[in-house]
Amino acid sequence: MNKKKLSHSNLNSSITSVLAALLCIVIGMAVGFLVLLAINPAHAWGDGFVRIIKGGFHDAPYGVGKELANAAPLIMTGLSVAFAFKTGLFNIGAAGQYTLGAYGALYCAIMLKMPWYVCLIVATILGGIWGAIPGFFKAYFNINEVITSIMFNWIGLYLVNELIYQNGTGPMYDVRNTRTLNLSKNAEYAQSIIPDFGLNKMFQTNSTTIAIFLAAAVAILIWVILNKTTFGYELKAVGLNKSAARYAGINEKKNIILSMAIAGALAGFGAGLYYLSNVSQWNPLNSTSLPAMGFNGISVALLASSNPIGTIFSAIFISHISVGGSFLSTKYYPTEISDLISGIIIYLCAFSMLFRGKIHSMLFKNADKTNVNAEPAPAKTETKKEGK
Amino acid sequence: MLLLIKYTLLYGIVLMLVALGGMFSEHSGIINIALEGIMVIGGVAGVLTLTMLPESLPAFATVLIAVLAAAIAGMVYSLLLAFASINLKADQTIGGTALNLLATAVAVVISKNFSDSGSAKLNYSNKPFLFSIGGLELSIFVPLGIALLIISYIVLYKTRFGLRLRACGEHPQAADSVGINVYKMRYAGVVISGALGAIGGLAYIVPPVQTWNFEVGVAGAGFLAMAVMIFGQWKPFNICGAAMFFAVFKSLANIADSTFLAQLHWSSNIYNMMPFVASMVILAFTSKNSMAPKAEGIPYDKGSR
Amino acid sequence: MAEDFVIEMLHITKEFPGIKANDDITLQLRKGEVHALLGENGAGKSTLMSVLFGLYQPEEGKILKNGKEVAIRNPNDANALGIGMVHQHFKLVECFSVLDNIILGVEPNKLGFLQKAEARKKVVALSEKYGLRVDPDALISDISVGMQQRVEILKMLYRDNEILIFDEPTAVLTPQEIDELMEIMRGFKKEGKSILFITHKLNEIMAVADRCTVLRKGKYMGTVDIKDTTKEELSRMMVGRDVQLQVDKKPAHPGDVVLDVEGVTIHNDQRKKDSVKDVTFQVHAGEIVCLAGIEGNGQTELVYGLTGLEKLSGGKITLDGKDITRESIRQRSKDGMSHIPEDRHKHGLVLDYSLENNMVLQRYWQPEFQKGGFIQSDKVREYSDKLIAQYDVRSGQGSSTIVRSMSGGNQQKAIIAREIDKDPKLLVAVQPTRGLDVGAIEYIHRQIVAQRDKGKAVLLVSLELDEVMNLSDRILVMYEGEIVGEFDPKTTTVQELGLYMAGARKQGKESK
Repeated sequence: MNKKKLSHSNLNSSITSVLAALLCIVIGMAVGFLVLLAINPAHAWGDGFVRIIKGGFHDAPYGVGKELANAAPLIMTGLSVAFAFKTGLFNIGAAGQYTLGAYGALYCAIMLKMPWYVCLIVATILGGIWGAIPGFFKAYFNINEVITSIMFNWIGLYLVNELIYQNGTGPMYDVRNTRTLNLSKNAEYAQSIIPDFGLNKMFQTNSTTIAIFLAAAVAILIWVILNKTTFGYELKAVGLNKSAARYAGINEKKNIILSMAIAGALAGFGAGLYYLSNVSQWNPLNSTSLPAMGFNGISVALLASSNPIGTIFSAIFISHISVGGSFLSTKYYPTEISDLISGIIIYLCAFSMLFRGKIHSMLFKNADKTNVNAEPAPAKTETKKEGK
Repeated sequence: MLLLIKYTLLYGIVLMLVALGGMFSEHSGIINIALEGIMVIGGVAGVLTLTMLPESLPAFATVLIAVLAAAIAGMVYSLLLAFASINLKADQTIGGTALNLLATAVAVVISKNFSDSGSAKLNYSNKPFLFSIGGLELSIFVPLGIALLIISYIVLYKTRFGLRLRACGEHPQAADSVGINVYKMRYAGVVISGALGAIGGLAYIVPPVQTWNFEVGVAGAGFLAMAVMIFGQWKPFNICGAAMFFAVFKSLANIADSTFLAQLHWSSNIYNMMPFVASMVILAFTSKNSMAPKAEGIPYDKGSR
Repeated sequence: MAEDFVIEMLHITKEFPGIKANDDITLQLRKGEVHALLGENGAGKSTLMSVLFGLYQPEEGKILKNGKEVAIRNPNDANALGIGMVHQHFKLVECFSVLDNIILGVEPNKLGFLQKAEARKKVVALSEKYGLRVDPDALISDISVGMQQRVEILKMLYRDNEILIFDEPTAVLTPQEIDELMEIMRGFKKEGKSILFITHKLNEIMAVADRCTVLRKGKYMGTVDIKDTTKEELSRMMVGRDVQLQVDKKPAHPGDVVLDVEGVTIHNDQRKKDSVKDVTFQVHAGEIVCLAGIEGNGQTELVYGLTGLEKLSGGKITLDGKDITRESIRQRSKDGMSHIPEDRHKHGLVLDYSLENNMVLQRYWQPEFQKGGFIQSDKVREYSDKLIAQYDVRSGQGSSTIVRSMSGGNQQKAIIAREIDKDPKLLVAVQPTRGLDVGAIEYIHRQIVAQRDKGKAVLLVSLELDEVMNLSDRILVMYEGEIVGEFDPKTTTVQELGLYMAGARKQGKESK
């Protein structure tokens, strides 16, 4: 009888999470529409809002292919953030880990002419190292991983730019495009591009590869690790209550570093998927902004309530509206409207716990009277990091 | 050398102002990681105001209006953080991060909308903000910053408000039990940080250049200010010292070409990286005896005690 | 109104989600009396006082001051009515000075600027008048718990409060300090101040109170005159049945040494001093050794050292003949050490894990619960169901209940089930009954004695002297990180222990 009950309450909480996410999306879109109205009321509906909603379908199948190509790395950065959340850490450093991953992938592809899977592995390792550093600072110096990750985002950005650019003389740098060399322009690099098995033809694009399937597979793998293994049990225990984990004989320092390393590796892998699909090239002259992919990962993770499977869908959604945003006519609107919308959505997600509580009590008011031998539940004193 | 002092002061004052803002927020118990975004908002509001003011206006009035506009924008924007983290008890770090991302988007949308070129670049005159003493060209933000530093110290340690604010960051239940409205005090802390952060944002953008591309944001200065605050142990004068220390690294980049440093042939990437590396090293050494307000980051719930 | 009441709380009802914490409770306080409020943990005493102090708003009922109805919406209102409270967990800002803490909320100021000079004068005068010794400039973090309590009392006096609430004030004091506090209360009474004294300790009520109101499970049981009642009657009113406070146990038969602690020293980096100094003792199989002492005298750190949560800076620990000084926490657990931790929410449980996941917190890695790194969830469920049945752990949804939603008593039972079922050689139990009601306390005491009788070594750390006297076969008193005396519970008295706990006496090592 217990099993039945359990799956029932699990289902309830999943429904609640999905509804909370939808609520965030709806409010976010509504605010976005108001902004469109404010900027240019005449075109707000057809040329503005509808285009964003239609996303890639505005220009199918090309737009859809583009959407999928962008979704793959987003799933990974989303997973990176979600995985860290599950273990009680806020990985705001996905951008930096992504940067290092990009360097690893491109270096192996351009300089070493390695096959794509080797490039991916190197990207993963570099991302993992960059993630492990804030983990190390957290474990041994007790410095908040948020601060460290932010610092290492910038350090990573400047480092990679320097390595690639080298005052314009870097061998990976293409002066004419002010970017790294384009992988598909030179047959030498063909083995480094992730295979597409005809997807490009189908979508009439040149960067839609099997990356999206790789990303989805990794998401499932992460779900299994978190929910079915002793390793996941330990990671979540550390995330929920570090002191109790320590009491249980779990090496919490090791777990913090490992968990940040895995989070970093996921982001690095995502960068590999992006650059080895040749969606675009790295611009080392951009020294003032970090890859947006890293921060959008935060929205993805929050929308998915840190559920690894959920990140697949929320990544596709975020990719959908940002592709939609890029189809906005610059005559009427800045394309950053979609950034604005996703910013609002994260802001709403920050208190989606509250939404979830409200929705849950509205839907399942009488379903679960958990506390029979009641006593007011002890208040949470620790900072509630997202996830559970 | 004069140049080094000039750039150090210029950048140091920015870091100090923003870090002081963070300090007020954290003493009230709210981690304000949105400082970066608040700087951007303050910058865009101030700059936009500058572009709209008639040139005939006396310098003093121009400065005053621009600074006020920035401060008010920052205060309003920080209310979003206060609302999420105080009333809705949201995770402060996530809320702050969202506001950082949102700020850049807002700034770009606004500046694109108001600039003639359709790009996110705004042009303005920084003349009213500059003055010079004995060959040292300074911005108006230097005396303003010093004044705000002293005021901050007095407010925090010599007034009833400061005592209550710090009580809310250390032990909100204790403050509540003696009849202090914790929510109000926390709002006050966050809003003050919004004002100081926004003025810092304007100080970052306006004095050195006459045009700014808001796609760039403020390139991590807000986050550095948080490191400055931690290094400064949440105390005003220590924060001032820490800010100047960090600023030296940054200004090396500006003077590198004209001094012995030129022979090292370091690129701007390396100089840009330096303050961040320095902050990590320092944090690693100072974190052991942190003086952080005990209740920071923990939403205060009146029901639980 | 025939009688002269300063405060009347009439028919107060306060509900929390899922529970009525106060159900139609009436309490009438006379001017110049010491009125005890008696009840078990969870009976609703603190809730009632929080209502009086304006921290909670009741759903029903009203409060009268001198016969007139008043609304108390927040502590400011309470303060304006002359009501002050010493909270069970002190409400003091650690990094503030004593003076700053006293004036907080009622700061003398000119245009918002603090004027501390006059405040200081008043505080010094008050502390002399009532014999409440404090240093106004000391930081709270540097002073003893006893002095912190004096600061809390001064906070009330500084506000000229006439109605003083003491919420479980004696829990942190030595017997001698308790006597002192009683004397201070009598002094207040003489001055015409009215006192509400919340406690669950009958001796203290008999010693100082004039009348007593009893609560049980949120309900009002009645008010009695102390001179017309007995301890037994009060205890019956409080629990609802006769209580056997004496634990039934046979004489101990100590066997071989199980735990051997030699010269253990632990340095506290934060306070920059040794919190445990050169501690040596042994625990034998089949005996309960109790570490007694006031909170904060190194007991916590010593247990951390024994269980591996903290590193030793010196000394040696041997468990059943094996040197475990440098072993990991997990290895110590494998070697036969069980630990019922002091703070069940911090260390004992992952509150957001299900009950079954908490039941295997110490052994999820064992071959019976995992295969190749994958958790065998059916085995975990089976084991958890077994423990739940065997130890009578009650929860809403059995093994899948999220532990956070369980009552404190059942949470503690779950920990005890888990730790005892490991079949340890040594059981370290730290304040195992803190915050629990009498039923749970009796149950836990029986379990601990049963473990002893099975030949386990038990090290008990407790702040409650009654528990210490009742349960232990040998008592060690800790003061400032040292063991200052060893006693036989049959031959010593609470008063004697108190002197050692306060550091007034010390058994010389050489004199033994």
